[in-house]
Amino acid sequence: MIRFKNVSKTYPPDVIGLQNVNVHIRPGEFVSIVGQSGTGKTTFAKMLIAEERPSKGQIVVGGWDISAIKPSEVPLLRRQIGVVFQDFKLLPRKTVYENVAFALEVCGASAKKITSVVPQALKIVGLTGKADRYPRQMSGGEQQRVVIARSLIHRPKIIVADEPTGNLDSLNTREIIDLLKKINEFGTTVVLVTHNRDVVNELRRRVITIDRGMIVSDQEEGRYLL
Amino acid sequence: MSFVSTIRVIKFAFQNFVRNSWMTVATVSVLVLTLVSLNMLVAMNVLGKVALSAVRSKIDVSVHFRPDVDDNRVQTVKIFLLSLPEVKDVTYLSQADALTQFNQTYHADAGIIEALGEVGQNPFGATLIISAHNLEDYPKIMAALDDPLYADVIEAKDFDDRQAMIARVEAVSKKLELFALAVSAAFGFIALLIVLNTIRVSIFARKEEIAIMRLVGASSGFIRMPFYVEAVLWSVVALAVCAMIVLPAFMFSQPYLSDFFGTDSVDLLGFYAANAALIVGAEFGATLLMSCITTKMATAKYLKV
Ligand SMILES: Nc1ncnc2c1ncn2[C@@H]1O[C@H](COP(=O)(O)OP(=O)(O)O)[C@@H](O)[C@H]1O
Ligand SMILES: [Mg+2]
Repeated sequence: MIRFKNVSKTYPPDVIGLQNVNVHIRPGEFVSIVGQSGTGKTTFAKMLIAEERPSKGQIVVGGWDISAIKPSEVPLLRRQIGVVFQDFKLLPRKTVYENVAFALEVCGASAKKITSVVPQALKIVGLTGKADRYPRQMSGGEQQRVVIARSLIHRPKIIVADEPTGNLDSLNTREIIDLLKKINEFGTTVVLVTHNRDVVNELRRRVITIDRGMIVSDQEEGRYLL
Repeated sequence: MSFVSTIRVIKFAFQNFVRNSWMTVATVSVLVLTLVSLNMLVAMNVLGKVALSAVRSKIDVSVHFRPDVDDNRVQTVKIFLLSLPEVKDVTYLSQADALTQFNQTYHADAGIIEALGEVGQNPFGATLIISAHNLEDYPKIMAALDDPLYADVIEAKDFDDRQAMIARVEAVSKKLELFALAVSAAFGFIALLIVLNTIRVSIFARKEEIAIMRLVGASSGFIRMPFYVEAVLWSVVALAVCAMIVLPAFMFSQPYLSDFFGTDSVDLLGFYAANAALIVGAEFGATLLMSCITTKMATAKYLKV
């Protein structure tokens, strides 16, 4: 599903983002990417959605080599990967429903499709009754669930979540992780970037540890090492 | 782009247009100023031509004969002049006519009339008033009259003054046009800066939406297009406002201008009506081109998609 071959990323002038990374993530996996701050986890996630290009090496997603993807093709890639990013918020002036619908609207979906798909996505994240609320009327955990609902809107094969529980308390964190697990059980590949030790240790899934841009450990059913 | 996307792009553009209302007002205003000054340029061009043709139509050359010259000689010269292809018409003014005309011109000035009386006899010679087909032909006609055969009987030819007047009218209207052009260019430049800034603010106001659009897979065309549509909206509104200013202004000033130039041929509205498609097309095209190029610059600079 996802393959990094000898991927390096250097930010100009010479800041190392990633160094010679080799990873293969199979369909349906739930992979945690862990590591200290500034080690290249976000860089990894961004390269997956072609937000950054590798300086060296090759990245293949679903059989598609995106190492040198054309700008005009990036939207196609993004419609196949659901994204939950740290600084990727909800629009405060739109309701929950409108925030989720927005992702379909701007991709040219018909009104009919929007009215059928948005309630489904809200149902999956358990927010059916709160469709008409505004983000400020919701808890941090609920807001993050709206973001996840939005990332599901194109029925992606892959979901990339970069520190989705970063600002949440342990209860809300558990809810979000449970939701991601549920989505993974439907068959969606989940790439979870986190530095939450408890989350990783409880998941008992594959853990890739990055340090200073390099993969230092890759374990099936791993634990948080650092 | 599909039909629904087009509708949504237009909706987005209208939102920008309405949400940043003060920016919209400023942008449209400066576009209107530019357009109005451009129309002043057009009007000046038309008026300059009117002024010139008014002056030209009044141009003729008076050839004054010596008072002692026999009338037959004068008639010979007239026939000679009429034989020239450049000459349109020659009017004969006898010695008596010249005196009457003089008296009419100066009837209010007792001193001059008195002085004339003291001369005791008619001091004026006959006059031939020549009008040519073309202004450019006068020098040729004058040259023909320089022939000694005629030069001996001619006292004076007056033409030079009017040439100076034409030159003056031409110079003034050129200067006015240049001034209007400079003003238009200055407004155009300011308009460019303001449009650039408005789009920058517009992009900034939508920063989060744009970030989301990119990450959920909206095409770059969809993200950019609203800003172009907004530029089209500005152009349309500016042109409409400009028409609402310029046309009534012409209607109001037309009688005064006609009076001023002493001719009925001042017809700015008529000129605009006759060239409506060209004028509206050119002005709308120019505004649109300017705002679209600016939009391209702004989106290239501030919209990384
Ligand atoms: N756009 C960028 N320009 C320059 N350096 C960057 C940029 N993004 C990240 N970096 C640097 O790359 C390294 C890895 O960053 P990042 O992938 O964000 O780490 P993490 O997500 O693990 O905290 C850091 O040293 C960071 O400063
Ligand atoms: Mg990070």
